[in-house]
Amino acid sequence: MKLFKILTLGLLLTTMVGCEDFLDLQPISEETSGNAYETASQIEAALVGAYESFQSSEYYVWDYLLFQDVRSDNCYAGGDNPEVFQIDNITIPATHSRIFTHWSNLYNAISKANLVIERVSNISDPLLTEARKNQIKGEAIFLRAYHYFTLVKLWGGVPLITNTITSTDANAVNIPRATQETVYAQIIADLELAATLLPETYSNDASINKARATSGAAHALAAKAYAQQPNPDYNAVLLHIQAVETSSANYQLIVYNDLFSGNNYNNAESIIEVQYLGGNEGNYGPQLLLPPSVSGDSWRKFVTPSVDLINAFDTEGDIVRKNASILFESVQWVDEFWGNTQGSVIPFSYKWKNANGFASSDNTYLIRYGDIVLLKAEALNETNQLQAAITEVNRIRSRAELPDLTNAQSNSQQVLRETILKERRLELFQEGQRWDDLARYNALITTMNTLVEIDLRTGNQVNYNMTDAKKLLPIPQQELDRNPALTQNPL
Amino acid sequence: MIYKKLVFITVIFISLLCTSKSVAQNKVTGVVTENDGLPIPGVSVILKGTTIGVSTDFDGKYTLSEGVNQNSVIVFSYIGFKTQEILVKGQSVINVDLQEDTSVLDEVVIVGYGSQLKKDITGSVSTIDSDSFESRPNTQVGSLLQGQSAGVQVISGSGKPSGGFSVRIRGTNSINASSEPLYVVDGVPTTDTRSINPSDIDTITVLKDASSAAIYGAQGANGVVLITTKRGTTSKPKVSLDIYSGVSQVWNTLPVLNGEQYRDLMTEMGLSTDWDSFTARTDWQEEIFQNGFSQNYQASVSGKTEGTSYFISGGHLTQEGAVRTSEIERSNFKINIDQDINDWLKVGTRIAYTSYKDVDINDNNNVNQGGVLLGALTTPSIIGVYNDAGMFTSNPFQNWENPLASTDGLDREYNNNRFLGNIYLEAKFIENFKYKFNYGIDNSNGVFDSFLDPFRTGFGAAIGGQGINNTDKKSYYIVENTLSYNNSFNKHTVEALVGSVTQKFTFENSSIQTRNFASASVTTPNGGSEIFDASAWKSERANASFLSRVNYSFDDKYLLTANFRADGSSVFGPNKRWGYFPSFSLGWRVSNEKFINKDGLINDLKLRAGWGLVGNDNINAYSYLGRVGSGANYPFGGVTQPGTFPGSIENLTLKWEESEQTNIGFDLSMLNNRLSVTADAYIKKTNDLLLNAPLPTTSGFDNAIRNIGEIQNKGIELALNTVNVNSDNFSWNTGFNISFNRNEVVSLVGQELLQGGITGGRGEASLVREGEPLGTLYGYIFGGVDPASGNAYYIDNEGNSTFNPTPEDRTIIGDANPDFYYGVTNTLNYKGFGLFVFLQGSQGNDMLNVTRIETEGMIDPKNQSTAVLDRWRQPGDITDIPRASFGNSDNSRVSTRFIEDASYLRFKTITLSYDLPKNLIDKLGITALKIYGTGENIFTITDYSGFDPEVNAFGGSNTVQGIDFGTYPQTRNLIFGINATF
Repeated sequence: MKLFKILTLGLLLTTMVGCEDFLDLQPISEETSGNAYETASQIEAALVGAYESFQSSEYYVWDYLLFQDVRSDNCYAGGDNPEVFQIDNITIPATHSRIFTHWSNLYNAISKANLVIERVSNISDPLLTEARKNQIKGEAIFLRAYHYFTLVKLWGGVPLITNTITSTDANAVNIPRATQETVYAQIIADLELAATLLPETYSNDASINKARATSGAAHALAAKAYAQQPNPDYNAVLLHIQAVETSSANYQLIVYNDLFSGNNYNNAESIIEVQYLGGNEGNYGPQLLLPPSVSGDSWRKFVTPSVDLINAFDTEGDIVRKNASILFESVQWVDEFWGNTQGSVIPFSYKWKNANGFASSDNTYLIRYGDIVLLKAEALNETNQLQAAITEVNRIRSRAELPDLTNAQSNSQQVLRETILKERRLELFQEGQRWDDLARYNALITTMNTLVEIDLRTGNQVNYNMTDAKKLLPIPQQELDRNPALTQNPL
Repeated sequence: MIYKKLVFITVIFISLLCTSKSVAQNKVTGVVTENDGLPIPGVSVILKGTTIGVSTDFDGKYTLSEGVNQNSVIVFSYIGFKTQEILVKGQSVINVDLQEDTSVLDEVVIVGYGSQLKKDITGSVSTIDSDSFESRPNTQVGSLLQGQSAGVQVISGSGKPSGGFSVRIRGTNSINASSEPLYVVDGVPTTDTRSINPSDIDTITVLKDASSAAIYGAQGANGVVLITTKRGTTSKPKVSLDIYSGVSQVWNTLPVLNGEQYRDLMTEMGLSTDWDSFTARTDWQEEIFQNGFSQNYQASVSGKTEGTSYFISGGHLTQEGAVRTSEIERSNFKINIDQDINDWLKVGTRIAYTSYKDVDINDNNNVNQGGVLLGALTTPSIIGVYNDAGMFTSNPFQNWENPLASTDGLDREYNNNRFLGNIYLEAKFIENFKYKFNYGIDNSNGVFDSFLDPFRTGFGAAIGGQGINNTDKKSYYIVENTLSYNNSFNKHTVEALVGSVTQKFTFENSSIQTRNFASASVTTPNGGSEIFDASAWKSERANASFLSRVNYSFDDKYLLTANFRADGSSVFGPNKRWGYFPSFSLGWRVSNEKFINKDGLINDLKLRAGWGLVGNDNINAYSYLGRVGSGANYPFGGVTQPGTFPGSIENLTLKWEESEQTNIGFDLSMLNNRLSVTADAYIKKTNDLLLNAPLPTTSGFDNAIRNIGEIQNKGIELALNTVNVNSDNFSWNTGFNISFNRNEVVSLVGQELLQGGITGGRGEASLVREGEPLGTLYGYIFGGVDPASGNAYYIDNEGNSTFNPTPEDRTIIGDANPDFYYGVTNTLNYKGFGLFVFLQGSQGNDMLNVTRIETEGMIDPKNQSTAVLDRWRQPGDITDIPRASFGNSDNSRVSTRFIEDASYLRFKTITLSYDLPKNLIDKLGITALKIYGTGENIFTITDYSGFDPEVNAFGGSNTVQGIDFGTYPQTRNLIFGINATF
């Protein structure tokens, strides 16, 4: 009997020894921070993950339209979402769920970029050349700058985080806001560094050159940042645009219709664009905008072009760009601005052409050369080179089959400034530029408060009641609740 | 795992050596029978004051041949029977007829890793036996527990047949880790009880306090529910048949605007259409609600012969829901066998196979998301079901499809096959010692199939239809080795147990989704031309434990139980893997003291006190690791490249959530056992909560799991059982239980959690805050409606009225926790007639009626409830319903306006049964034949204005409770059945 007891005890002890191995389980379908960044292909995958934020962040899918085109004078909310109506009416509370979503998505994107920047230098895989290491670093730095640019435009000064967070301690995560100037300084420093690390092109394959960050993209974004910052440096803008224009990537203006035909993406005008293939790499944005005849369904669509916008196209006689951008169609729902009865004909935002059941293969331009040409005109005008500026505007106008600028449209710096702003509106409608343009031109308050839009349900003009405080979004309440170091924007 | 084999072989080998026993001297033999003369095997026959003893064999025979003399007293004892002591006095044949013991004190209670007599239990344990759930709809284990036991709160999130139950034993202990109790089915732990067949269950034991649950250590923090299935007990095979059929329906509909009233409202909002073209008048509630029919067939055979005890059953259940297309179907097979190999070695098995199918209903969603219940309320009556093109109709102003698009336009079906079973070997290889080996498995395979009609639904048409096939596979095993020791000497009784347990869980799933179907006749994904999603995933977790327990009693008066368990879990890092969980409890049977007169008022009185620590590791596998996920893919060069993303922050210090529990209580039975009372008071503190604490999202993460915070539950429970009348022809028993629990979030390290987002961007309505209970409802204080403008005004945090409150003006507006909950059962028997009435209620809990926000908000072209007929329409109107305000939810914020008292008392079950007289059925060869009719939720007393007060849109959430958002209501069920035994 003793023997048995000893055996049993002995066996119980054996289990104890075996237990630590039994309990030491590693994830099967996931990697860990300890083993996910060791090889060349792993760091490439981390970089791919950083690019993927352009698809997974709702802001870059379609909310940029809400905050740029709907919030401004280009479009109405459309659809049925009370929070989107709030964006249209510029009554966005700090508790608005979409602003928290975007804030966190953008910082998530930044954390992915930071991770790549941090980890890439430690990779000792011989398959990873020094040249590619630099490119990877440049790409990640570009992405970080891109997202900070989005953040600073929406919220002003935001927490500036350039390393990965590995601790949950309060002092590691409760980061206060940096000033707007500091954030811009970081963006510009990042872009200027990225421009040196990145190639002008990667290969002959446009669907790579327009998908990955290039030095052209870094210069173009730097130009936009120099112009958008609180004290614009238009000389720097011009220098960076010069770098874009002299790039061997050979950026060209193409036929306007071809930009938005839906089957000519990654073209010569594109500098960088969000890539979609359809299917599970599909873009769900177009289905939200496109009319029943295209989308195949029949619910009320979002981002409805405004009366004021259509008037702007018509006043200019801009047929080419209007037709490329807007489709009118009779619908079964009522629209409080276009037709308060069923069967009214209303316009749709139409730069995307394919819906494909929430899985479109239509790309989204992040930066295209047409925008840079108008930015160049703006910079030339601001640096008192009016004639050169007019030349640039006319390049854009002639492509839209519009006559060159008249004297009345360009006879002073101030007049030309307003002309360029109008031109940008027609050129870049539905490309997520309008609010930023109005902000940069310091035209938000006058534009929104003189905007005449009649709500047909009441017959009253909508009062947008634009104020200085509303130029920036409120810091999301949920983030304020989590981070006591943050301060709210004036409300 | 070689050691297991070694143990097995060793056991058998050594046990063989023990079989040759010493030769007889002075023999006593006999047969032990029960009342009706049937022999009882396994009766313990012991010479009093010695350790000499045997058990009766299969024919009830025994032979005592050692140490017997003239003055020997032989003690015959068997569970469930009165113990008899007989003086030998020269007899060589002693036949004994044991009397069944009806006293509850000698009731055997299944506890963790063994059983105890009820009188010896020192922890807080309650039992529910099959009597209380016979003749009830045979659906789920959760419903059997409801209202039957003090301290056990069963929250049924909805009334759908496939809906699960959420069980809270003594409150919610955790925020992110599970608060569901552990279920142990015949020794195999599980968390999924949906496919367990209630009619196979013999008893349910609920271990409520730490000292009784601590033997389950890591998994016992939320209490343990032990389910024991039936086994054969009679030598004559017993055949049972149980058949019922029934119907279920909603007991309440809500009044909505008719077509003309809807038109008025839309016109007021500035919406117009060609009203004359909308001629239909559809009652959508009538369309989606149905009489759901159910049928149940159960058959079993059980018996005990030649050392074999067996129970075999099979059954089939189909149940339609009260909402169109919802249903479940379940087939069960069960085999329980215990086989004595010889007088010291026993093996057995419990095997259950279940085939389960359900069709779910999209509830807790508004019509925009295809929610069926809200769809029925907010779809205007003026449209028919199909339009001219054969598609489901939509709201005249928005493409919100009518609710039949969700029920009929989308096929969805879940099928699951589950094998749950164990084998055990029990060896009494040496006197007083018993070794037990148990190996259990729980394997299930599920397949979810879904098909969205490409022609009749709008979304289906947009994507060309959608076929989904998801599979899930769960594998689990447990290996237990326990060694127990039992001895009594003089006045001491000692029982000790040591053991080891290893458990492993493996999960895997795969999913495939295709789109673009050419027809609706092929519904599997192969019919779609475009693979939209295809993926598969695996994970696993493991636990290892060592357990020990000592039960000691002295003179049947002073009782002590001590447990100690060490648990290792793979979800924690190498340095924090092991947790150590002790517990102690004491009992004092006051009634056995000399100063209590046994024949007086009090039959039994026991005081109990216990303290214990239990742990919780019920969080995601690999939680401590910084995980890097795949699938963040992005195309370069037209080809999708693989991408990764950081999924979580590494936390090597993550450790066990611990809950420290103290319990005091007493068991009293008096007045000749006609009144028994059990009362308990407890306090539970859960420390080092495993909390997904929100992080500033600037970190790149939304949250990180950390050990922070503390939750406390304290409460009082009382259970009363009375025998009101007990005469030959008439008996009436009453059971009553009531529970008071107070939950408080003691500390969250300064964090606050807002959860439970409400439709229309109205923010979150559930608050977790220090000093407040979980289930706190949060929002604005509704002031009233301004007669001038018709707008709602609110009270800000300084007590002033405002039309535009800020988020800071939100405050606590309700508490979803009941002040108390209770159950009352009455069992009456008169001759062959039986009446069982079961009332169950909950008092003082608030509900945020978001269904009303959706149906009284008047912000969009949804149909509304008739409450909005009182809305403000012109200056001067005095009302409490604000004006319609299209696209603006300021008038319908989450506020006190939508908080309602959801207290209820309901006649949960009323069963009337009749046992046919013996003389009648004897001729038919039937032992017993019962016919019965049962009504469930026949009558409900509540002030709650929604479909039903017993719902929660967030199901079994720990934190978000008391929200009704178009939730599938509890239904009224009627069944008629017959129960025959041969």
